[in-house]
Amino acid sequence: MAKYILKRVLILVVTLWIVVTATFFLMQILPGTPYNNPHLSASAIAQLNETYGLDKPVVVQYFDYLINLLHGDLGTSYQYQNQSVSMLIGQRLPVSAQLGLQALVVGILLGLWFGAVSAKNQNKKMDGFLGIISTLGISVPSFILAIVLLYVFGYDLGWLPVSGWGDSFSETILPTLALAVGPAATTTRFVRSEMIDVLHSDYIQLARAKGLTGTQLIRKHAYRNSMIPILTLIGPMVANLLTGSTLVENIFSIPGIGQQFVSSIPTKDYPVIMGTTIVYAAMLMICILITDILTAIVDPRVRLK
Amino acid sequence: MKRWQKWTVAAVVVLAAVGGSRAAGWWGTSPSDDKSALNYGLGAEIQTLDISKSTDQYSNTILGNTESNLLRVNSKGDPAPDLAKSYSVSSDGLTYTVQLRSGLKWSDGSALTAKDFVYTWQRIADPKTASQYSYLTSGVKNADDIVAGKKPVSDLGVKADGNTLTFTLEKPMPQFKYLLSFTQFAPQKESFVKEKGSKYGTTAANQIYSGPYKLEGWNGTNNKFKIVKNDDYWNAKNVKTKTINWQVIKNPETAIKLYKEGKLDRASITGSPEMYAANKNNKDMKTVSVAASTYLEYNQAKNPYLQNEKIREALNLATNRKELASQATGGSRDAAKSLVSNNLVKAANGEDLSTYVAPGYSYDKDKAKQLFAEGIKEVNKGKMNVTLETDADVPVSKNTVDYLKQAWESTFGDQISVTEKIVPFKQRLQDSQNGNFDIVVSNWNGDYQDGSTFYDMFKATDTGMNNGQFKNQDYIDAVTKAESTDANNPSARDADWKAAEAALKNSANINPLYSWKGAYLTRSNVKGVVTSPAGLTLDLTNAYRK
Repeated sequence: MAKYILKRVLILVVTLWIVVTATFFLMQILPGTPYNNPHLSASAIAQLNETYGLDKPVVVQYFDYLINLLHGDLGTSYQYQNQSVSMLIGQRLPVSAQLGLQALVVGILLGLWFGAVSAKNQNKKMDGFLGIISTLGISVPSFILAIVLLYVFGYDLGWLPVSGWGDSFSETILPTLALAVGPAATTTRFVRSEMIDVLHSDYIQLARAKGLTGTQLIRKHAYRNSMIPILTLIGPMVANLLTGSTLVENIFSIPGIGQQFVSSIPTKDYPVIMGTTIVYAAMLMICILITDILTAIVDPRVRLK
Repeated sequence: MKRWQKWTVAAVVVLAAVGGSRAAGWWGTSPSDDKSALNYGLGAEIQTLDISKSTDQYSNTILGNTESNLLRVNSKGDPAPDLAKSYSVSSDGLTYTVQLRSGLKWSDGSALTAKDFVYTWQRIADPKTASQYSYLTSGVKNADDIVAGKKPVSDLGVKADGNTLTFTLEKPMPQFKYLLSFTQFAPQKESFVKEKGSKYGTTAANQIYSGPYKLEGWNGTNNKFKIVKNDDYWNAKNVKTKTINWQVIKNPETAIKLYKEGKLDRASITGSPEMYAANKNNKDMKTVSVAASTYLEYNQAKNPYLQNEKIREALNLATNRKELASQATGGSRDAAKSLVSNNLVKAANGEDLSTYVAPGYSYDKDKAKQLFAEGIKEVNKGKMNVTLETDADVPVSKNTVDYLKQAWESTFGDQISVTEKIVPFKQRLQDSQNGNFDIVVSNWNGDYQDGSTFYDMFKATDTGMNNGQFKNQDYIDAVTKAESTDANNPSARDADWKAAEAALKNSANINPLYSWKGAYLTRSNVKGVVTSPAGLTLDLTNAYRK
């Protein structure tokens, strides 16, 4: 196990290096200037480039960046003057994490419930209805849903705040829902098919023969074995929530890392683009690693190699 | 309890705990009649509180209300003493002598002295600071050489002696009084800047304030903060509002919604033509002037068609500015009369400068057709294929290029083919700076309320704004005269601006399209707000709720 984890961590470092390199060189072909003021003369731009080290050859800039990165220095933002990238990300990450966690919990709880209801009512009206809902949930992107929710509950009905973060819990409801629908739909589908399998298995037949009723059967026997595949889903789900939240954060004016990522690209804020990409990549890989380890712990049939 | 039930309960507890910690103001409050507080929205995050490095209007709005300068522009548009007690200008216009008020203090209680002004001017000019606004110091003695790194900052023509500040200029600059009200030249305390080092201006606590309010609750990334009355401000007794709440609202529709719910005291309606149309008849609607113009730049360095004056003139004549403003912008902009924006400043004769200098841009389809045909013949390269570039960040931009493409193609028929190129703002900027365009839609937001902020743009090819790279000698002569021999003679200076506009029109070097204006839903019970077309556009020093 220890050996396995070590190996995975090494792979993670190499993958990160590839991500850093690819992002760094892709960024160079991104058109646009990193400076805001249109009134800069060519000599002023040359001077700014010198200050920021942008006049050096790209390869030199690349190694400079790598060396700083190894020292844990992600650089200073061009757009947010004087702000270090690690601070920008460090303060925004908890906001995105809270949003992601809320969405994950809501999504999985809803999914477990709907999945079980679907399986129990297999091929009945309720199953069909939930099937349509979950297909919609999977196919409609979270940012479209966010705008619909914003329009209906924010503008039309006026029940919930339309933007902001940090003042009240009510502000988090709409973005959480927008993000939770995807995971809920995926979980519903998985739980349904898994539970249908389980419900046809021998030990359930035995439990049924012993006289257990439907609800008891599901709660005490069927759920636990249907949960295992859900665990493997959580890793990719966290990934989807993080990347999905970039646009949702923008729509609701939430000061999370996603909003930062989205705005750094058109403004050509090189250090922030690099920093957020690295943090995203690292988080995704760590999530998947944790999921793999958890799966092995929960399901002894899985062997880590 | 089974294991999954425990997990479920645990998850619910986590959710409730995370949410509960934020549940303090469950449904928010309705603040539009709270007399101690005002509520405003910012269109984007604060980027920095570093006075020398701020480049965006949002950071500028916060800085301008929390920092003071020697002068502050009043409701009449004139710079009036703020931290200065008085100022005088020598008869040749080359020396500004400013007396500071006595007993001035920073928000931390320490003394604010003339040295803090000398430091702020030196810091912005210092190439090491890498300020994008260092060019604004140009005209002060030795500033250009210091900015270029050829002289030490101590050579700058800004000196302190006790409570007196002396500014020595290289040429008379009637607009200099506006610079003395500029946020980028607000005082900075050297010991504080040095102590904070790389953290300076990154949070509310990493800045000290000289203005009517001080910022609280900004941690560098959050979207809600407030400015509260600064009791150390010299004129604190006339600051009537204790707290002004700010929140970042990127979506203009959301801002309008919050205004209508009473949660904001002001919301812009010029975000899109549709939004303007939907709100322009609202009883709370008020317009303010904005020192911004939109014009076309013709690439006269690289494009053989656009080097031909007849073709440029034909394109200008085929532009119906009134229709463009009413159709493409839905009336949210006003048709341009000249390069200088409408309502920027009054000319010496009392007329609006843009009206006084207007060289008579007109729409004449037949003359345009004739000139275009002649031009195409002269160039002798066949049909004109041209790209029309704009940035996608301003919603009316796309409508503008759509309109122009349609107008030109219908006027000149198969002799022209216009390709639209719509790119992000920063790419448009880079394409403009590199001359990588045929025709580009440019916007200029003037720095101060004086014609020179517009006319300086084309007085050389290396100003950074002359992207079409044209050299118009009549224009250069007129602007040079305005900034030298006529600098201290307002009416002669206005006449020079007029000659400069005429020179631009005669050679059709640019094509002015429209002048910007601000239109806001504004709470009628909020009084004392000062708006300016340039510089600090929203000054809340004396704002209060009645």
